[in-house]
This record gives sequence, C-alpha cells and structure tokens, in this order.
Amino acid sequence: MSVISLSDLVYTYPGASKPSIDGVSLNIAKGEFVLITGPSGCGKTSLCRTFNGLIPRFYQGELKGQVFVAGQDIAGKQTFDVAKHVGLVFQNPENQLFALSVEKDVAFGLENLGMSREEMRKRVDWALNLVGIYDLRERSPHEVSGGQQQRVAIASVLAMQPEIIVLDEPTSFLDPLSAERIFEVIYKLNQEQGITVVLVEHRLDLTARYTNHLIVMDKGKICFEGNPREILCNEKVCQIGVGIPKATLLYKKLKTAGFDVNSQIPLSSAEFADQLLKVLNQ
Amino acid sequence: MSIFDGLKFRKVSSPIHNIDPRIKFIYVIIIFISAILFHQILPLAILFLMQLPFVFIAKVQKQWLRSLRGAAFIAGFIFVINIVTRLFYNGWPTTTLATLEMVEPALGMTMRFIVLVESFSVFFLTTSPDYLGLALEQSRAPYEFAFAFTTAVRFVPVLAEEAQTIMDAQKARGLELDKGNVLKRIRNYIPILIPLIVSAIRRSLELAEAMESRAWGAVKKRTNLYLLKLHKGDYALIGIIVLVLLVTIYVRLFVFESIPLLSTFF
Repeated sequence: MSVISLSDLVYTYPGASKPSIDGVSLNIAKGEFVLITGPSGCGKTSLCRTFNGLIPRFYQGELKGQVFVAGQDIAGKQTFDVAKHVGLVFQNPENQLFALSVEKDVAFGLENLGMSREEMRKRVDWALNLVGIYDLRERSPHEVSGGQQQRVAIASVLAMQPEIIVLDEPTSFLDPLSAERIFEVIYKLNQEQGITVVLVEHRLDLTARYTNHLIVMDKGKICFEGNPREILCNEKVCQIGVGIPKATLLYKKLKTAGFDVNSQIPLSSAEFADQLLKVLNQ
Repeated sequence: MSIFDGLKFRKVSSPIHNIDPRIKFIYVIIIFISAILFHQILPLAILFLMQLPFVFIAKVQKQWLRSLRGAAFIAGFIFVINIVTRLFYNGWPTTTLATLEMVEPALGMTMRFIVLVESFSVFFLTTSPDYLGLALEQSRAPYEFAFAFTTAVRFVPVLAEEAQTIMDAQKARGLELDKGNVLKRIRNYIPILIPLIVSAIRRSLELAEAMESRAWGAVKKRTNLYLLKLHKGDYALIGIIVLVLLVTIYVRLFVFESIPLLSTFF
C-alpha cells in the first residue's frame, strides 16, 4: 500500500515561465526508505513541499495533478492537517527552531495540536531519546552544534508521530561526520519504528547503502527510479550531475580495465572493501 | 560581539529567578507605587534597602551595580535640577538648617528615582526571557505575542553573528566603516544593513514554513509543555507584597506627617 502517491503532478511557481515539477508520478510504499537525488534546481525541494501541501498553499502558484497522502487527497486540506501524517525537516537547522529550549521546541508541534501535558511530556522524552539528545533538553538551540540542532529538528517532527518523514537535504549545513550520524539516526527510525522515510540528498556516498528505492530527478522530471545498484552504474546518470559513490565508480573503472570482483555493484566503500578482500584472499 | 553580550540568554537558577515573573512584576509595581507615595528620605531608604536581599540571593550584584552606575548620570541630573530650582526660588541659604531643608527634598527625589531603577533592574536581571515568555503565554495574552517575544530573543545572537559576517565580508571588499564624519559613518552602514534585512526576511519565510509544517494553528486553544505553578518562594513573595502594601497604606494615612526628616534633628 502506498502512503504517498502522486499522479501527473505539474507545478509552476508564481511568475515562473517553466514548471518546476513537470509531470511527476510517484508511489511510495509504507515503510520504505526512499532517496531522491539530482542536480540543484531539479525540483526535488519543490517535490518535498507538495507532500504536506506547503505547495501550493504557502507558495501559491499553479498545481495540477493529484497528491494522495495516507490514502487521502490533500487538495482541500490545511497544512496542519497533513502535518500530522507528514513531518518535514528542512535544510537549515537554525531556521526551524524557534523556542528558547530544546525540549520546548520538540513540544511545539504537540502544543499546536492541543495535546495534554502528560502525553506531551511522554512523547517529547521519547523523541529526544530516539535521536539521542535527551541530555540536551534544557539547553538553548543556539548553544548546541549544527548536527545537534538538526537532530532537534528531527525530534520535533518525530514527536508528532507522523507516518512519513521527509528530509530536504538535512545535512547540507553539516560536516561529514555529523552528517553520517544524522543518516544513522534516520535509518534507525526507518528500521526500528517503521517510519516511511523520504530523504533528499546529494551525498550518495553516505546514503545509497540505506535504500533500495532511488529516484533521480532532472529538470522537474523523474529520470531514473528503482534499485540504486542498477541506476548508479548507468552512464547517463553521471552526465546529469549526480554524485556517484566513489566505491561504485572504482568498481566500474576496475571492471572496464578487466578486473571483475564478480559480485553485486557496491554502494559504499565498506561494502567494496569486503568484496575486494574476498577476491584478494582467494 | 560585545554589544550583544548583554542580550545573550542564559538559563540561571536561584530562588529569585524561580519566582513566577507575574508575581515579581506585581512586587515591582507595589514598590513603584510606594516610592511615589513618599518624598521623605527615610521610607525611600527603607525601600532601597529592601531590594538588596533579592540582589544578593539571586547573585546578580555585578550586573545590578552596573545598571545603577548607568542610572547615576540621570540621578545626578535630577539632584542638580532640584537644587537649582530651589536656589532660584528661595535664594542662597544662610543657615545649616536652611541648607538641609533645600538639599533634603532634592535628595528625596533622587532617591525615589534610584528606587524605581533598582526595582526594575532587579526584575529584569532575575527573570529569564523564556520564563517571561511563559508568563506571557499563561496570562491570557494572545499566544502570537508571546511567540514573537521568545522568537525575537532566540534570534538575537543569530542575527548578531550574521551582522558580524556581513561586516567582515564588506570590509574584505574594501568598505571602510570608521571613516568620515558622523553622517558619512552612518551611511557606511547601509551596505551592512541591506543584506542583513534581506536575509532576515528570507529567514522569517523559512521559519513560517517550519511552523506550518509543525501544525501551527491546528487548534484554537494550544496547550503548553510547562505549567507555571506557585511554589514556596512565590507564596513568600506574595506575603511580602501584602505586607509592603499594608505598611505603605498605614504609614501614608496615619503617620505620614510624623515621619522624621533630616532637618528635624537640628
């Protein structure tokens, strides 16, 4: 069963001559880890904003086609209604935290929903523990590091217990190590809590291994969709401007040079290192 | 950035910091009214001394002294103006008693001003902004106001950092901030202000988006993670407020005329 389903979506920003999303149809199944990638300006950010109705309600502009979230058409719905199903985490962690303490920020969405204090307390503590920042709950968001801020943002979305979490380049303001930790947290949520994850990301080196549903976008269209091992080997994907994982590139180069490790196409350095070791030990 | 240091918000805990801001505010108002009801030095001195325990329990002596030092100039001004007007009306005093009678009211006025500044500074020095925001939220003020207040406090250090970055960037391109006369110097800051305002607007749009995505406006009556509950300290302060109020009313109505003045000792 698909939790998000788009059909023939076309969206044009107000004042723009060309559509930013140009005929996208997409099905995302429950519990999936979907990775969306593509060059800047390809429409991935716009696509994320259609999932909870920020497009077209917040941005205006013209939207054609249908968006179904959790089985319901969201066309006539308010953003706050959809927000219960879809949690959106943005690029800049600084601009999505507005309270003076971490736990107050995590509670913000629940306060908006008018939840009782006891239930709220439980959910806030649960969300903070899940992303591993329970110790920081009384700090000010300004005092904690960028990676921790992004975790606060994830926790604050998580506290609302949505079925789907959409993350729009959550690590572009972070260093590689903090980014890797964020991805681990997200993957854990997907595996242990069964939350559907839609991740928009350039860093395929760190993320490709988590998914088996990769979407490559370019110029508002979906160019490739499916298993990352097949897609990332395709020559055309390189030409679009997608950051192919280094291990995959090395594998391809070795293969064209005649050295075949005779296994599946690797998506991360660790995976490829294992494969090489096996061959070398033989 | 040193100018913004005072605006940086830090969570402090002390018996005074933990008192409900609303009760503290009522206390300040009562002190304010009492200070206006009396012009003699003795009751004003008592009101002044009454604040000291608060300052010491909250451990804000340093900041408190700094705020008093800031008020010293205006206090001195008030004193001089009072003396000068009296000199103007009564002429130069010839006896010690006359001098005292001239100096005392001026001193009283100055003292009154100091008491007002002191009590307000104690309030603001011992109330953290998140607590103040919470008090605003829970005293039936529209939530939008409380939200605007806490968000403003939250973004002061962020904007300060950004201003610094823009200043560095413009300086790196050859902008000279400290050159020319006053008018020129003000104009020098335009290339700093415009990017700062533009980025603040962009930031506010992103904030609005994040709020929308977290169900802003879903129900009419929002709930709150925290509840301001009255503790021992709050009740103690309520007691003090009632006491001050009663004593003030009594003294003002029945013994106002017999409050000793400095000049009565001569």
